[in-house]
Amino acid sequence: MKKLSLQSTHRREAIIGWAFVTPQMAGFIIFVLLPLVSVFMYGMQEKNLLFGTSSFVGLDNFGRLFSDPLFVKSLVNTLIFSAGVVPLNLIFSLMLALYLGGGKTGTRFVRGIIFLPVVTSGVAWAIVWRYLLQGGTAGPVNWFLSQVGIEGPNWLFEKGWAMASVIVTRVMKNLGMNVLIFMGAVLNMPGDVIEAARIDGAKGWNLFSKIKLPLLMPTVMMVTIVTVIGSMRVFDTIKLMTDGGPEGSTMVMVYYIYHQAFRMFETGYASAIAVVLFGIVLVLTLGQWVSRKRVSYYEV
Amino acid sequence: MKNVRPMGAKRALIMLLVFGLALGMAFSQGAKETTSTPSGPVSLTIATWTSNPDQIALLDSFVQDFAKSKGIEIKSNFESIPFGEYNTKLSLELQSQNGPDLFWVLETAAPAFIESGLLANLDQAMKAYDPADISSDALELWSKGGSVYAIPFSTSPFFILYNQNLFAKAGAKNPDQLIAEGAWTWENFRKVSKQVTDNTGIWAFQTVDGQGYDARILHNLAPIVRSYGGDFWTEDGQVLINKSEAVAAVKLFHDMVYVDKSVVPPGNQSDFFSGNAAMTVGQISRVSKLKDASFAWGLAPMPSGPKGNAPVIGQAAIGAHSKSKHVELAAELVAYMTNKSSVAAMAGIWPPARKSVMDSEAFLTSNPMVTSVQMKEAVANSIKTGRVLPSHVKYPQIEVESKMSFDKLWQPNADVRKILDEVAAVYAKHIK
Repeated sequence: MKKLSLQSTHRREAIIGWAFVTPQMAGFIIFVLLPLVSVFMYGMQEKNLLFGTSSFVGLDNFGRLFSDPLFVKSLVNTLIFSAGVVPLNLIFSLMLALYLGGGKTGTRFVRGIIFLPVVTSGVAWAIVWRYLLQGGTAGPVNWFLSQVGIEGPNWLFEKGWAMASVIVTRVMKNLGMNVLIFMGAVLNMPGDVIEAARIDGAKGWNLFSKIKLPLLMPTVMMVTIVTVIGSMRVFDTIKLMTDGGPEGSTMVMVYYIYHQAFRMFETGYASAIAVVLFGIVLVLTLGQWVSRKRVSYYEV
Repeated sequence: MKNVRPMGAKRALIMLLVFGLALGMAFSQGAKETTSTPSGPVSLTIATWTSNPDQIALLDSFVQDFAKSKGIEIKSNFESIPFGEYNTKLSLELQSQNGPDLFWVLETAAPAFIESGLLANLDQAMKAYDPADISSDALELWSKGGSVYAIPFSTSPFFILYNQNLFAKAGAKNPDQLIAEGAWTWENFRKVSKQVTDNTGIWAFQTVDGQGYDARILHNLAPIVRSYGGDFWTEDGQVLINKSEAVAAVKLFHDMVYVDKSVVPPGNQSDFFSGNAAMTVGQISRVSKLKDASFAWGLAPMPSGPKGNAPVIGQAAIGAHSKSKHVELAAELVAYMTNKSSVAAMAGIWPPARKSVMDSEAFLTSNPMVTSVQMKEAVANSIKTGRVLPSHVKYPQIEVESKMSFDKLWQPNADVRKILDEVAAVYAKHIK
């Protein structure tokens, strides 16, 4: 009798549990899992968005990637973009967090200024920067440079400068969020450990590299993974500031997927590129996750 | 102590059922809407790239007149999609269940849209038309296998708009003065442009909508290239963009940008309509932007080259969506919106392809901001000498891939011939 009651309680709890997770699961299945599976399936089809046609082609789309110079270019550009955005973002946000976490005067104001771009619309941010970075002396940035005797380039229309410009504007846009996360970690560092290190004579770079950085490492790893994934998925900055140009020098993978799917209407091929991007992000994330124990002494 | 009782299993089951039912009803409702026969007012969505309220009101008046003539009620919904995103967003919507019933089509996209089967056959709806009134050239682009799939409502040539004050300030002859002397050529266009920039410090020329280096590169280069005797590609598959005539024409424009520095360069946002450039290229529909201009302005046809004057005609057509729930009604509305009286009412904004309207005095005086002389010289005559941009079923691919090569032009030391050879290779890859 007692046993039956226990079973019935378990069953009741299981049903209640399912009732709670079902809406969330339904959302996940409809809006995440199904599209993800669809992308894999579309990647094996020759599918045209305008003509509404599709036919199974197996792995042909994946084979085509290697002979497509624009895909190779977009892959390299994505890596360059990430290689620029991730270290700059991490270094500056960590430096700022350490400074702002010190509780010096005026830090609240600086914190507000740094966080302002995060709450600004990405579209507005890109449009404003496109205006600021105009060539000649029409753009405020170049006008300022001309006042100190420097002739600025046509930032968004010269190959090397265009990528540098989108990297820097992207870093400035997202810096505040990482500063906020790092500040939380900085403020939670055990004071007694740092105090003990100071008593033992550690200061400056030694104190940072031997004591503070290891304490912050779990947060650094988490922020790195999130920033890498974010940089791989950049779209709005590129679309609004350079349209992938000049000469495809800022054509990153997500923007190339958009080009193939919605401008050339080749949805099948675009899906194959999306699968490759998914694989790259997955490998990088897993790599960072696996290596966390080598660089981090403990986990939060 | 009494345990807190968790939510009853029955209640949880009921919640699950309600949730499932709600989800099911939501989906079944969507399915029902797509198949049921409409009762009461008919809802029609019309996609355009104009967002001008006056132009939308004019189009809506045609819809309401058509509804009255049919004795039905039509609830119209005008969807304005920005020009730069038009083909992308429209093609996505057309594949969904809720795509527009009628939509504008750009001339460059015509072959791809007809080939895709998204445009309904309009032969039946056009039976009342007098075929002699519409030039066969105007319908050629919109037909396939002897059937018509969209009807051009606008055959609008591009012309030069200029700021009279800036020319006077620079002490340079303005386009109308050069026309009077019979000297309105691209060479003189370049000379007066340099004079204006040198003497006023203001850009002499802004490319069409400031997009002449990217989205509207063909609109920008075609009038020069064609008046020099060149072209991009021909209907029979010849690629001409790297021939000497085209190279000379593109070189002229490139020198204006980088040697004379008289053209608003890539990335610079100086605008003619704000008084920050002395000339630009526009169409009759753009003239309304000068209603409150702070300067005196003029309007002139495009300059001539060694092979005469070759303005670009921007042709836009309207078609019915073949998958529309009201496809027959939509096709009839397309025919109504492009009949003689509708076309006459639109002529001041969108010049017609109908001969009877184009040759009428009413057309020449149809836009209150433009004189009949300007309308005749820059619009009516240009329709006769101009041509639409080249088009191809693979235009989306051509546009994206050739931009990579065209981008190389916008550097001071660009090798124009070499770059145009690259563009030609892209064209040749797709145009067979």
